[in-house]
Amino acid sequence: MLPAASIVEHLTAAGLAPWLALTVAIVVHAAFVLAFFGAVPAVAIWLERKVSGRIQDRLGPTRVGGKFGWLQGLADGIKAIQKEDIIPAAADSMLFRMAPYIANIAAFGGFMLLPFSRDWVAVAADIGLFILLAILSLEVVGIVMAGYASGSKWSLFGGIREAAQMVSYEIPLALCGLVPVLAAGSLNLSVIGEAQQGWFLPNWLIFHSPFAFVAFFVYFTVATAGSKRAPFDLAEAESELVGGFHTEYSTMRWVYFMLAEYGHMFLISGVAVLLFLGGWWIGLPFIDGPVAALRAEDGRTVEREYGRIDVVDPVGETATPLLHSSTSSVLPFSLGNYIGNLIGAIVLTFKAMLLVIVQIWVRWTLPRLRIDQVMTTCLKYLVPISCALFLGGVLWPLTLTSTIGRTTLFDWPAAWSEATPLRFAAAQGAGAARGRGGDWESGSTTSLIAPSPTPSLSPSSPAAEIAR
Amino acid sequence: MTDLVGHFLIFTLVIVAALAGPLVLGRLVRPHNPTREKLSVYECGEPTIGSSHVQFDLRFYVVALLFIVFDIEVAFFFPWSVIYGNAIHLSDERLPAVTAQNLHEPAAAARMTLSETLLSVPPGSLPVNETITADAARTFAWTGLVDVLVFFAVLLVGFAYVWKRGDLDWVRAVSAQVKRKATRPEPERVSVSEARVPVHN
Repeated sequence: MLPAASIVEHLTAAGLAPWLALTVAIVVHAAFVLAFFGAVPAVAIWLERKVSGRIQDRLGPTRVGGKFGWLQGLADGIKAIQKEDIIPAAADSMLFRMAPYIANIAAFGGFMLLPFSRDWVAVAADIGLFILLAILSLEVVGIVMAGYASGSKWSLFGGIREAAQMVSYEIPLALCGLVPVLAAGSLNLSVIGEAQQGWFLPNWLIFHSPFAFVAFFVYFTVATAGSKRAPFDLAEAESELVGGFHTEYSTMRWVYFMLAEYGHMFLISGVAVLLFLGGWWIGLPFIDGPVAALRAEDGRTVEREYGRIDVVDPVGETATPLLHSSTSSVLPFSLGNYIGNLIGAIVLTFKAMLLVIVQIWVRWTLPRLRIDQVMTTCLKYLVPISCALFLGGVLWPLTLTSTIGRTTLFDWPAAWSEATPLRFAAAQGAGAARGRGGDWESGSTTSLIAPSPTPSLSPSSPAAEIAR
Repeated sequence: MTDLVGHFLIFTLVIVAALAGPLVLGRLVRPHNPTREKLSVYECGEPTIGSSHVQFDLRFYVVALLFIVFDIEVAFFFPWSVIYGNAIHLSDERLPAVTAQNLHEPAAAARMTLSETLLSVPPGSLPVNETITADAARTFAWTGLVDVLVFFAVLLVGFAYVWKRGDLDWVRAVSAQVKRKATRPEPERVSVSEARVPVHN
């Protein structure tokens, strides 16, 4: 799995037309992400069964696949394929069939913008978080569609409840997600993740200010509600609404709703990890440092990450002047870079899985809320709290910089961590050097960025010194 | 933009194909024996009564309206936060003013990079004397704060109004309405027995 830019560059350098190169690159991305999208629910559903078993003093599945019942999900899938496909006579057949697809398009589309490691992301858009939240909120359309099209009263109530719940919880979700964005000064998830390098204590954005610390917990609560997990699973509430929006769904179509739900859970946990919990960094510089050094072995002359990265330009302007104009270079494949990114992806997946386990734990521990409690929690508590957190996140650094001249409360010594603005400049500079900085759109920024910032403009060259 | 839209379209096609595959495969192996009972919708085992597209509570509609008010305004915070966050980084005194001499020191280079990001100019093209100083960035951040506070205040006034009106109350008991009516000073006298009559609409 390589970044879009690099696959496109390699293919174009090999002589493919730019549009064909882009299409092939996207298909490769989609295949990788699809494999991951299939693997995550398989693991998460198995975990859900084992964890719930433990919590209820049972064993959970033990037999399928030898030990621990780890192939139970596959067995269920095979069973579901063989079952009779029933669509109620009262249902709107077309919408009924479409609904699971829409829910999954939303969850899968979100993965498109989730960076697994610095260079491993399908689209490193500069408005990444914004688009991700926007695509993710499309899932509610699928749920409402399922509820409406089933032709059952239970389903309709479940769908309508889900709509009310999702649209309400979206507001605190966005406001809490903005607190780390304020600290990072970027919506690009790759930049936000990259900037949290160093010791975990001052550098992870959850520790950036007291408001960010609280914002993480509010974000996680709201995200749990957003993926309609207990105690907020009013849409399916089996004790009141039988099965809610999926009462009439069975076999594979029902499985697809579960797939979307677990995909959504992982995605929202991954975003939490990127925004608050250090992204792909372990948080210990003596481990992260060598990993970062490995990753830097990709052919770029790195003058230092403080924003000034001079890109070696072996091919020159032949490479994709249209698509990724600010880096007109093909970086050779480097094993070190690959391994560095792989380690990052493993760390991020591990952290996100831990948050998924917390969601499972919460589900089997807390009783379900009533619909009025769910709405009151959101509208009368979480919205004001997240508004206060947003204002706090705005005022905290401004107050510090106006009084003591720096944006963090403590001036960490150099060995402890780098100063905050240095880290963010480094991350943004790295983003810009890969051709993804500067504009609101994704990598294909042609208008504002010069066709090719050749080394003659970089500060190390004499020409640049004269130009200045 | 081509990148993003192309990704979204192809990702959509891929997931649709991936989901349709097992269903098509299942068509070959699964039975198909529909009966009238099987195809009826579930309503606790009883025969269903009337259409299932019943009228739902209007409270859900109010929530949807609230969402429109809030979420559109929250969407405007996103670009503002990016600019504000950059300005805050630039206002840090630990990054020295950039001169031609200290351009290669990490802290000065960081100020240069952040200035270029804030001004949306290509990396390496900003002249040294046009980098943003800490004082300028702080003034900019304060201006941005005032702007957003005005914006946020409008939002919060609307929120307070909605709260006061009782639109955020999910349970609107008749007794609560009566109590509110009783506390309101009214010219004509309402007898207690009259006020207790539940209002049917």
